[in-house]
Amino acid sequence: MPIGVKTVDRPEVESSYLRATLKGMALTFKHLVRPVTASQQYPEEKYEVSPRWRGTHRMAVHVDGRAKCVACGLCPTVCPANCIKLIPAEDENGERYAAVYEIDEFRCIFCGYCQEVCPVEAIHVGVHYENAEYSRERFVYDLERLCAQKHPFTQLWDPEDPASE
Amino acid sequence: MNDEKKLLNVTIDGVELEVPAGTTILAAAERVGAVIPRYCYHPGLSAPAVCRMCLVEVEGAPKPLASCVQPVQDDMVVHTNTAQARKARRAAVEFLLMNHPLDCPICDAAGQCELQDYAFETGQLKTRYVEPKLVMGRDKVTPEIVYFADRCILCTRCVRFMDEIAKDPVLVVINRGQRGYIDTMTGELFENPFSINIVDVCPVGALVNEDFLFKARAWDLDQTASICPGCSQGCNVSLGTKEERIVRAKPRFNPEVNSYWMCDHGRKTVINWGAGARIEVPMARDGDELKPVDWPQALDALSEAIGNEPGRARAIVSAGASNESLFTLRRLMEELGSDGGVFRVPTGPEAELPGFPKLKLRRDRVPNAKGAELLGFQRSDAVFDSAQGHRGALFVLEDTLEGAPDGFGTNAELFVYIGTRLNPAARSADIVLPSTTFAEMAGTFTNFEGRVQRFEQALRGPGLARPWWLTGSALLERLGAGGRYRTAAEVFAALASEVSEYEGLNYEVLGLKGAGAPGSSAAATAG
Repeated sequence: MPIGVKTVDRPEVESSYLRATLKGMALTFKHLVRPVTASQQYPEEKYEVSPRWRGTHRMAVHVDGRAKCVACGLCPTVCPANCIKLIPAEDENGERYAAVYEIDEFRCIFCGYCQEVCPVEAIHVGVHYENAEYSRERFVYDLERLCAQKHPFTQLWDPEDPASE
Repeated sequence: MNDEKKLLNVTIDGVELEVPAGTTILAAAERVGAVIPRYCYHPGLSAPAVCRMCLVEVEGAPKPLASCVQPVQDDMVVHTNTAQARKARRAAVEFLLMNHPLDCPICDAAGQCELQDYAFETGQLKTRYVEPKLVMGRDKVTPEIVYFADRCILCTRCVRFMDEIAKDPVLVVINRGQRGYIDTMTGELFENPFSINIVDVCPVGALVNEDFLFKARAWDLDQTASICPGCSQGCNVSLGTKEERIVRAKPRFNPEVNSYWMCDHGRKTVINWGAGARIEVPMARDGDELKPVDWPQALDALSEAIGNEPGRARAIVSAGASNESLFTLRRLMEELGSDGGVFRVPTGPEAELPGFPKLKLRRDRVPNAKGAELLGFQRSDAVFDSAQGHRGALFVLEDTLEGAPDGFGTNAELFVYIGTRLNPAARSADIVLPSTTFAEMAGTFTNFEGRVQRFEQALRGPGLARPWWLTGSALLERLGAGGRYRTAAEVFAALASEVSEYEGLNYEVLGLKGAGAPGSSAAATAG
């Protein structure tokens, strides 16, 4: 059986490009004079995130700038992704402190267990999402870098609802 | 009175059992699997019943009894876990926690602390005590042991260890009540070759070894049953390892060898044993230099060299090598015609533990001198003399070659060095094979009295290092001299069938506690 070709007659009015083009241009002109901004003007305008957003880490510090961490080892123990490296040591006052404290943010799954388990409220996940770097190595945050972070700490519980704790 | 033979009926938590007269309730309860918490009681020490944690309810008794000292009486009915007993223990824990700093996150005992366990178990999560906690700080009791007075619960285990086992009563409880603390009478530091045992007996984190302070958390350590290589006593230890390092050794109970104790020398020796620069690849001589090769090449080179008939074999072995390794070397030497081997034994002052006379820090500071002797190697003070002018094949097994004379081994037709570290003297070897330390392989040591004890592999060997018995048996197979052994147990079985002193022994018989070789003095005690 030969293949038949069926020619459909389209009405000129509907198949004309001119009409659609004018319609589009009309919309463009409309927005030129009365703009509607549905999209967000990032990075001028930052995205508002929940206070319970779990982003990259931040270490709480004492007033003198020392990290609050006592190197107890609970966060590397609880961490399901094994992304925390901690080597404890003794300082000149005989106190335990973290000689090495590194978090691999690539490995981290941002579960927030480290913040939850910390007995001295030192390590926190933060309300923060801008993490771009030029090299992969920079994603291993050392103690100095963790202490230098300034973003707000994540709230583990809904601050509006104390019963959620 | 024949009290000791008399059996008494006792019911513990509804289970009836018969125990000999004089058994304490605590010991009887352990037999039915009822766990009674205890701090001051330690099976190796006397029981003063000061901690009041082991209180149990006894029917007919007006108040709970301390089960660690209360002997069982006939027809006694004991309840270890009733409301009354629990309430009594809860009160005891509450008192102990009154001034306890609860600094578990930074305390080295966390994870192995009995106070932590029971406080958690009894639900002591809030305190009713409103006064400020007494802060007493920390101090040293020996140059190596730090004492945290705040954490101390005054169970006096350490005091009793020094009194009863070390018979060196230096520690006392100073002051009374909540101001009490442990110290020497004069406040000076004391020294005792068995002092670190007080760290082991401490149920909390009050006494801490500086060597271990802040090094690792208890739950981070992998524990492996092993034997201390520090002297010929062969104390049973469990090695705590973390990240391919030995972090600590703790005594493992063995009533025939070391009970619950071990010496400080052993503990210090074993920390980081085998760490540092090691021989990681086999090396074969190529002209003037040693070239790294892989195992098949190394074995090819070695079997070729042996095929060239280098002459009779002599050896310098280490008395720290396992029986399996020594036996494999003996087999290889017999293939070539053995001229015998020698080993040297470093010595040091002996120290004894008066409360447990079986345990001494022995003069011979190697674990397997007896084993080397039983395998036909000679103990010698001048090991290099016999090997120096030797013209045949010369094997050095795990000896460090420290103090070797210049040009050592250059006369030998074939000089094979099997060891862990490359001493300059070993650089003149024709073939260097990397071997593993005792912690990196399974094997056995024979202690001073002929007791054969197994140790398990705790670490991985560095690089291509293999136990010598493994490479040695592969070599023997190539030379057509017997089957290849794939496990240390197989080597030991072959050893036991060949060496009369080890007859009837195998890895299953040895178990984790070891067994005496028949005919040795250990056989009588091991049974």
